Amino acid sequence: MATQAPVVRFAEASKRFGDTLALDRLTLEVHEGEIVGLLGPNGAGKTTTLRLLLGLIAPTGGHAEVFGIDAWQQPVRAHQQLAFIPGEFQVWPQLTGGQILDLLGTVAGGYDPAFRDELIERFAFDPAKKGRSYSKGNRQKIAVIAALMTRAPLLVMDEPSSGLDPLMEATFQDCLREAKAAGQTVFLSSHILSEVEAVCDRVAVLREGVLVEQGTLDELRHLHASTVEATYVGDPPALDGVEGVEDVRVADGVIRLQVSGSTDPLLKALAQADVPSIQVSEPTLEELFHAFYDASEDLAGSTA
Amino acid sequence: MAITGREQRRAASADASADAGHGAEVNAGTVDARSASGVVRRSPRAVWWRTYLHHLRLLRAAAVAWIAGLAGITWGVAATFDLRHGSEEELAALAEMEGIPAFEALVGRYVEPATVEGLTLSRWGWFGILAAVWGMLAGARLLRGAEEAGHVEPLRAGPIGPRGHLTTALAALYTTHLVFLVAIGVGHTAGGMDPATSWATGGAMALLTACFATASALTSQLVTSRRRAVGIVGIAMGASLGIRVLAAGSATPDWVWWATPFGWIGFLHEIDQARGRVFLAFGLLLAVLLVAAVVTADRDLHGAVLTTDDEGVGRRTARPVGGQLGLAVRLTAGPARTWGLIVAVVALTFGLMARDFAEVAAELPATVAVAEQMGIVGLDTPAGIIAWTLSLFVGLLVAVFVAGQVAAIREEEASWRIEHLLARPVGRVRWLVTRLVVVAVAAAAIAVTGGIIAWFATVMVDVPITFVDGVLAGVNLIPLAWLILGIGVALFAFVPRLAGPVTYGLVVVAFALDFVGGLLDLPEWVLELSPFRHLASVPAVDLDVPAALIMLAIGLVGAALGTLVFRRRDLQEA
Repeated sequence: MATQAPVVRFAEASKRFGDTLALDRLTLEVHEGEIVGLLGPNGAGKTTTLRLLLGLIAPTGGHAEVFGIDAWQQPVRAHQQLAFIPGEFQVWPQLTGGQILDLLGTVAGGYDPAFRDELIERFAFDPAKKGRSYSKGNRQKIAVIAALMTRAPLLVMDEPSSGLDPLMEATFQDCLREAKAAGQTVFLSSHILSEVEAVCDRVAVLREGVLVEQGTLDELRHLHASTVEATYVGDPPALDGVEGVEDVRVADGVIRLQVSGSTDPLLKALAQADVPSIQVSEPTLEELFHAFYDASEDLAGSTA
Repeated sequence: MAITGREQRRAASADASADAGHGAEVNAGTVDARSASGVVRRSPRAVWWRTYLHHLRLLRAAAVAWIAGLAGITWGVAATFDLRHGSEEELAALAEMEGIPAFEALVGRYVEPATVEGLTLSRWGWFGILAAVWGMLAGARLLRGAEEAGHVEPLRAGPIGPRGHLTTALAALYTTHLVFLVAIGVGHTAGGMDPATSWATGGAMALLTACFATASALTSQLVTSRRRAVGIVGIAMGASLGIRVLAAGSATPDWVWWATPFGWIGFLHEIDQARGRVFLAFGLLLAVLLVAAVVTADRDLHGAVLTTDDEGVGRRTARPVGGQLGLAVRLTAGPARTWGLIVAVVALTFGLMARDFAEVAAELPATVAVAEQMGIVGLDTPAGIIAWTLSLFVGLLVAVFVAGQVAAIREEEASWRIEHLLARPVGRVRWLVTRLVVVAVAAAAIAVTGGIIAWFATVMVDVPITFVDGVLAGVNLIPLAWLILGIGVALFAFVPRLAGPVTYGLVVVAFALDFVGGLLDLPEWVLELSPFRHLASVPAVDLDVPAALIMLAIGLVGAALGTLVFRRRDLQEA
C-alpha cells in the first residue's frame, strides 16, 4: 500500500448548479502509478468531477487536490504536473494540427519533440492540415498526442478515446500501459467498459453525482455475485440455507446458482455430494456496471 | 459502380416525392417500420416549411434588435422634424446643403433636405449602410457560420437537399426584411412622412438588405469560412460606397449614381420620378445574386466552389504559434488587419475630401453654427473635417472592432477551447490580461493608423495638417476603444453569454445617441452618456485630457473588475 500523499484527492467535494446537485461529497484518492477509471452513464457527474480537479469550476463544498495542491485555489501550480485530454476537443480552425500541438506543448511548460513525432507516427496523424478540416477522430488525436508528449506525471482524461477507431483505440491503450510502466498516474473517465477493464487498476462508479463503489476489479467482483455451474451424480447437493447462495436452478444433472461473498460455505456444501465438475464465472465489468444501476433503479422504485 | 453524392440525393428526393404522392403504395411488399410504429411522415413541402421556421427562429432575436434600432431611429428623425427644424433659420440651414458634393459623398444624393421626406431619406443614406451590414452578417451566419459550427448536418440528414436548405434560409432572411419594410412604412407614415415615400423607403431598404444577405449567401457557397464570406461581401460593400463618393463629385456624370446600390437610395424622393427604376435595379441585382447562390449551392457539405487554403492543407513547416501571447496575437491579427484596412480607406477618403468639405462649409455659416452647437468644431477647416470624420466614423469602426474582440474572447470560452490552455499551467488572469493587452494595442494601432492616413491624405490635397496632429487625432480615439474594452470585459465576467451582443449593442446605442440624438431632442444628460460625445475635435482643438482620463479610468476599472470576477467564476459553455 502506498504511504505517500495521493496524486489526486477529492475530499468531500461537491458541486451544485442551481437546484441540481451534480456531485455529492465525493471522497476519492488516486495514488502514484495507478490507472483509475471513473465510470458512470451520461449525467452521472464524471465531467464535473474532472473539471473540479482541473480548477475550471469551483467546488460548492469540500475540495480537490493534485499532488497536495488545491486545484481551485492554485490551479497554475497544480497544472504544472498534469496533462489533460478532453472528450470533445475543439480546435482553433485557423491553426494547423502541428501548430496546435506546438502551442499546447509550449503552454504546458515543455514537451518531448522526439516523442511527439513518434506519437504522430503511431496515431497516423497528419499535422499539416488546418484545424477546421480535421474529423472528430483526428481532433481527438491532437488532444491525445498533446497530453502524452508532455510526459506529465499525472494524466487526466475525460472519455479520451471518444471518436478513435478500434485500431487507434488499441494504440491508445498501449500508450496508457507504457505511461503506467514509466510511473505516470492516470485518472480517466469513460463509459467504454472494455477499455476500463483492459487498462485500469481500480475503478470508481458514480451514480447521479454519488460515488457508489470503488476498488480494484477483483474487489468489486468479490462484492458481487459470481455464477457457478456444477454437474452432479445422484441426488443434487443440498444448498438450502448456505450463506451467499441464491437463484439455484437444478436440471438434468446440472446445478446453476449465484454466489456472493466468500465461496467457502458453498464449496463445503458441494463437497457433501458427488460433484465431478464445477465452473465459477466472475462477473464482467459490464455485469457489475448493470448491477450497480439496476440496484439504483430498484431503490428508486421502492422509494417512489 | 460508384454512386455520387448528387445521385444519392436525387434518389432520396425521388423516394420522398414518391412517398408524398402515393403514400404506402410505394412500400408494397416491404416493411415500413416507421408506419408500423406510428411515426408521422412529413412531405418534402412540410420538411421545407419546418426548416424555414427553424431558420426564422435563429434569426428572430437579432432581427428584432436591428429592425427596432434602424426603423426606430429614423422614425425619430421624421417624427421630430417639425420640432427640430420648425424655424426658418433651421430650414434655411438644411436647404443650403442640397446638392453639395461633399455632403452627398457622405449620404448619397441630397434632395430637398429641408423637407421631412428629404431629411429622412438622407439619413437612410447612412443607415442604409448599417442595414446592408445586418444583411451581410445574417446571411453569412445562417449559410456558412452554421455549417462551420456543425449545425447543418442534422438538417441535411433529413429529406432536404443543399438547395432546399439554401432556399429555406433565404426565405427566412427575406421574411425579416419584409418585417423591416413594414416597420419603416408604418413608422415613417406615423412620423409624418407621406405614405408613398414611407413605403417606397421601406421597400428599397428591405431590398438593399436582401441584396447583401443574398450576396453573403452566394459567397458562403464560394468559400469555406464565414470570415472569408463576409470579407468578400465587405470588400464589395466598400467598393460600392467608394463609387458613391465618386458619384458625388461635381464633375462626375449623373449615371455613376446608378453604378452602386447605395446610389439608388438617393433617387427615392418623389420629385425624381425614379422609384420604378430604383426597384427595377434592386430587383435585377437581387435576382442575379439569388440565381448565382442557388446554382452554386449544390456542393459538398463543408466544401466550397472556390478552393482556398481554408480547405485545410496548411504548410508542413507552418511557423509555430509560440505560447499564449503568440496565440492571442494570431487570433487578433486577422480582424485587426481587416478593420485597419477599412479604417485606412475611410480616413483616406475623408482626408482627400477635407479641402472640398472645408471650402463648402466656409460658405455655409448657418450649417457651421448648427454643427458647433452639436459639438463639431471647425467644420470650415480641413483640421475640423478630419476631427469630425475621425471621431465619428473611425471611432465607430474602432469601437466595433473592440466589441468583436469581446465576442471573440467569449467564443473561446463558449467553444470550450479555453480549457486546453487553462487545464495547463496558464492562469486565468494571465490568459485574459494577455488577450486584453493584445486587443488594446491593436485597437490603438488601428486608431493611430487612421490619424496617420488622414494626415497623408491632407498632404496629398495640399491642405496638410501636421503629422503630430494626425497622430493625435488617432490617439484621441484610444480612450474610447479602451473604455468599450473595459466594459466588455466586465460583461464577459458577469454575464458571459451576453457579453458579445450587449457590447455591440452599447456601441450602436452610444453611436446613435451621438449621431442622431441631437435630432431627437433628447435631454442633454442622456446625450452625455455616449462616450462619442466626449471625444474632443482633435486636431481642430486640443485633446480633452480630463475626458480622456475619465474614459480610461472607467475602462480600467471595468477591465480590473472583470478580470478579478473571471478569476473566481465557473467557466460557462455556450
